Amino acid sequence: RFRSKRRPPELYWSLQPVRDTHEKQIQLWKELILDYCKAQKVFLIGVVEDFPLFSNSAIDRTLSHEARETFLSAIVGEGSAEWLDKGHRKCLILWHRIQDWADIILHFVKENGLEDSLMTVEEIRSGTESHGTKLQGIDRTILMRTLKLLENKGKLALFKRTSADDEGVKFSV
Amino acid sequence: MRRRPGIGGLQKAAAARDQYRLLGENVAKLRTDLMKEQLATFRSQLEEFARKHKNDIRKNPAFRAQFHEMCAKVGVDPLASNKGFWAELLGIGDFYYELGVQIIEVCMLTRSHNGGLISLQELCNHLRQRRKKDREAVTEDDCLRAISKLKVLGSGFEVITVGKKKLVRSVPTELNKDHNQILELAQGQGFVTVEEVQRRHSWTSGRVIDALETLLEEGLAMIDDGHKDGKRRYWFPCVSSVYATSGADT
Repeated sequence: RFRSKRRPPELYWSLQPVRDTHEKQIQLWKELILDYCKAQKVFLIGVVEDFPLFSNSAIDRTLSHEARETFLSAIVGEGSAEWLDKGHRKCLILWHRIQDWADIILHFVKENGLEDSLMTVEEIRSGTESHGTKLQGIDRTILMRTLKLLENKGKLALFKRTSADDEGVKFSV
Repeated sequence: MRRRPGIGGLQKAAAARDQYRLLGENVAKLRTDLMKEQLATFRSQLEEFARKHKNDIRKNPAFRAQFHEMCAKVGVDPLASNKGFWAELLGIGDFYYELGVQIIEVCMLTRSHNGGLISLQELCNHLRQRRKKDREAVTEDDCLRAISKLKVLGSGFEVITVGKKKLVRSVPTELNKDHNQILELAQGQGFVTVEEVQRRHSWTSGRVIDALETLLEEGLAMIDDGHKDGKRRYWFPCVSSVYATSGADT
């Protein structure tokens, strides 16, 4: 169960007007959000939806929409997240960067002797080999991006037989 | 014939007064000499004591505090000079020097959180955490002594008293009486509202807001607009005992 020593009490729930304090506040929330998402394997945050971190019923506080957007934008700014829409309502959290995921997949391939194998995308994220690994449950959007990156590097080829089939991957690691 | 004090009588009286005065001075001198001698004896006995109990003084804070008291009574300051007899004998100079350095570190680490003002209690807690492995206990008294040495170095450290608490200031921020009174009021719940301050001190709202704005600007306060009563609260990390900073213990 995720527990943080650094959970901010009442004082960090309102956006601070003084610049230095504001920056400190952003830093704290950035770390908190990323740590939480990594621990809980959360890949997507809906800004207007309920998100456990954004409310604390014990102290009766909730982050305003503006605060949520501010903190998530800060994470986007440092390259650890992406807005999926112009309205900034959905945020893809890259607590591992795409390059990191690529390394994880290469490692996964070697560990399981899949160097010349075929797998479906769905198998990569939910098959028996990925069970208990970092890849289990990986967000599909992130996985596709990662696979495309590896394809560009010649480590694999993506293909689709019919439109009904899941995409397939042929590794050539 | 009536007896009158003649010249002779006057001279005699003057001579007698002189003699008494001389005697008086001698007695005083004797007393001072005696006292000086007693003091010197006491000092050397204190030195002997310090030599014998060097370890206890280093390891036991209660003992250490009493030792300081004894020294103070005799007019000896074991911390007066890092190179002095005392420092060499006891290594006490080092103890306070190291503590001073740690105090500076803790203050710097927590500064972005509390604006450069930390309660003595919280400071000591941080220090105890850091020094756990040394097993050399540290009291608030030790901290105050170390800080008074820091002051001599001109490092901008100051201990201020706000209500019942002592706060250690590590930034040059000057706090005036209004600020102090707000800090004192904040000790109750860790925060104040404009209304509360006005009610307590009968200031105009302008005066209250001015003072609070300064405290905000200095990083000593943070706003909280989330309470359901809609009133803005000003929180003061330096007086909140509910919050344990994370900065120093990572």
